[in-house]
Amino acid sequence: MRKVFTVILLAVIALSVVSAAGKVEAPVPTIDLQTSSWSAIVEEAKNEGELTFLAWYFPDYFREAAADFEKEYGIKVNVIIGEQTANFNKLISEKDRAVGTVDVSIVGGQWVKTTMDLDLFYGPIKNILPDADKLAPSLWEVQEGVLVRGFLAPFHRNQTGILYDPQRVTNPPQTFKELERWIDANPRMFGFNDPSRGGSGQAFVHTVIDNVAGGLDRYVGDTEVIPEKVANWDLVWKWFNDRKDKLTFTVSNNDSIIKINDGQMSMTYAWDDNVQEMMNHGNIFTRAKMYIPEMGAAGGGDTLGVLKNAKNKAAGLVFIHHLGSKAQQEKKFNMVGAYPARTDVPLSGTLLTEADRTNNAIAWFPAPYKDFMISEFVKHVLMTK
Amino acid sequence: MTEVKQLKSDPTPLHLIIEKRKKRFYILLTLFFGLVQLLWVGVPIVMAVMWSLVDPANPWSFPDMFPPSISPHQWQYVFKYTNIARALKTSYAIAPIAVVLSFILSLPTAYVMGRKNIPGKKIFMLVVLLPIIMPGMVVALFLSRVFTSFGLSQSFFGLVLAHTLMGIPYMIRVLTTSFQAIPQDVIDAAENLGATTFVKIKDIFLPMIRPGLLAGMIFAFTASIEEFNLTFIIGTPTFETIPTILFSFMGYNFIRTNASVVALIMMTPNIIMLFIVERFLKSDYLAASLGKM
Repeated sequence: MRKVFTVILLAVIALSVVSAAGKVEAPVPTIDLQTSSWSAIVEEAKNEGELTFLAWYFPDYFREAAADFEKEYGIKVNVIIGEQTANFNKLISEKDRAVGTVDVSIVGGQWVKTTMDLDLFYGPIKNILPDADKLAPSLWEVQEGVLVRGFLAPFHRNQTGILYDPQRVTNPPQTFKELERWIDANPRMFGFNDPSRGGSGQAFVHTVIDNVAGGLDRYVGDTEVIPEKVANWDLVWKWFNDRKDKLTFTVSNNDSIIKINDGQMSMTYAWDDNVQEMMNHGNIFTRAKMYIPEMGAAGGGDTLGVLKNAKNKAAGLVFIHHLGSKAQQEKKFNMVGAYPARTDVPLSGTLLTEADRTNNAIAWFPAPYKDFMISEFVKHVLMTK
Repeated sequence: MTEVKQLKSDPTPLHLIIEKRKKRFYILLTLFFGLVQLLWVGVPIVMAVMWSLVDPANPWSFPDMFPPSISPHQWQYVFKYTNIARALKTSYAIAPIAVVLSFILSLPTAYVMGRKNIPGKKIFMLVVLLPIIMPGMVVALFLSRVFTSFGLSQSFFGLVLAHTLMGIPYMIRVLTTSFQAIPQDVIDAAENLGATTFVKIKDIFLPMIRPGLLAGMIFAFTASIEEFNLTFIIGTPTFETIPTILFSFMGYNFIRTNASVVALIMMTPNIIMLFIVERFLKSDYLAASLGKM
């Protein structure tokens, strides 16, 4: 028995050494991407010949976009659709490696701060990509309250709003007072997700802070939480606790949408792109309606970044350029209904009206307040009886 | 009292009445367990099947009890837009090897834990379970460093090793119990009759731990097929397994229709294997308990 065990152990060690011998070394860049012309970057991308792209949604669109990209540039794209949290855990776990396994990743609003703080992305890339000015200018600079300084390219713009079942809600609320009255009259029929588990719940708590704690303007420009400015947030937590038995708390953005479909709720805060994707897959009735109420709802957008330790940086940049092209942004909108990041794409048939977007969409307060809001909500609302 | 009177007045012999009542009781018991099984196992599977057939043009919504129309769209979508075929191949290539390796690596430990009195045995048995007690992603993040430094990430061998590691706790635990259950007098009798170590292993230990081995195999195989965190961190993008695809529809971006399709794809071979192993398990267990080895 001892002999067998020794043989197995030796085999494991030998195989480990063989595998270690084949370890990939950091590639030597042949051109400086920051100063080279776009045609030189495209040539370099073609020499690299492939790239790995990480996302957690739209498998249909991304596979078609990858096929189009391969046809146009001859560069193969390995599209990996994972789970959002696992994707970022993977990127973070590979942070200190000379060469990572992923070249380009989608970055959701929830992960912008962590990834920017950890310096995961190569950049800035705004100055490298042609047509960068055609993509939502505000998203190039700030995403969901976090400064991204041209490191992350806008991919699509999404917006939260109220999703409701028109068969059960005939006159949906516009102002905060109307919402309060509606919640009182229809206990448990309005809900939102735990803000630590999704942006639509964050957007609702953000709106409550705006309406209960005296506006959002006073937080603009702050780079850290000013204690005096959040001193009256106890009013916000009181607002939630007073209505705890009349509100429904869900576990994720999509869980809120599912509960509307299943009739457990009639109204919720939701992301427009989530709702559209769920509709495309038959996970919510097509009669569902969405609007941005006058009391306001925050919006954002997902972005794309090239990893700092990417093996195929040039190919990654060209792929981001491809996804941001007018043709691809139109294709994405037509396939999955996500609101384009490009400002020059003509649109019709969106869930939210342009008037709502212009008049009622609000900006997030700075990221430190958002983090503070999430932790305080958990502490003062979710963890209290 | 009334019952006694009735029994006295009934011309049917008492043993037949008792037999009849027993029969009725067993039927009721069977119906009860059937109902429990239906609720526990049947309903989720039926729901998964129905959700996997939802027609996107006619979503299944409140107040409909059943999908208003069915369509193969969700299945077509999964096979067209995910790497499910590649993932199936990888998952079912890794799992059997991981099961065999975890058995080989667990056997000596399980023998010592089951048959020998060593100090700190109870603590060791707890430590063995740590990889399955700790959150999967935490284990994956720590182990990924080790795998990377040994050059084992993004390799098939590394993935097999990772799955083996996740199977070992189950295998050790079950095999240890099997070794503990072997009666010492059977071993003593064999020794008295001059059995060598090889004969004892062949004719006593292996046949008597077989039920435990099969149970351990089920656990290790299922753990391998369902392993997500470690596989994703050290294997993706070179390798994709079924849970990678399942989690893309189940986590943050939960799409019930597509998740149902992938869950059914993942579940079916496991259920078939479970039935096969269950048959072996039953016959071997009986043989072992009756001493007919």
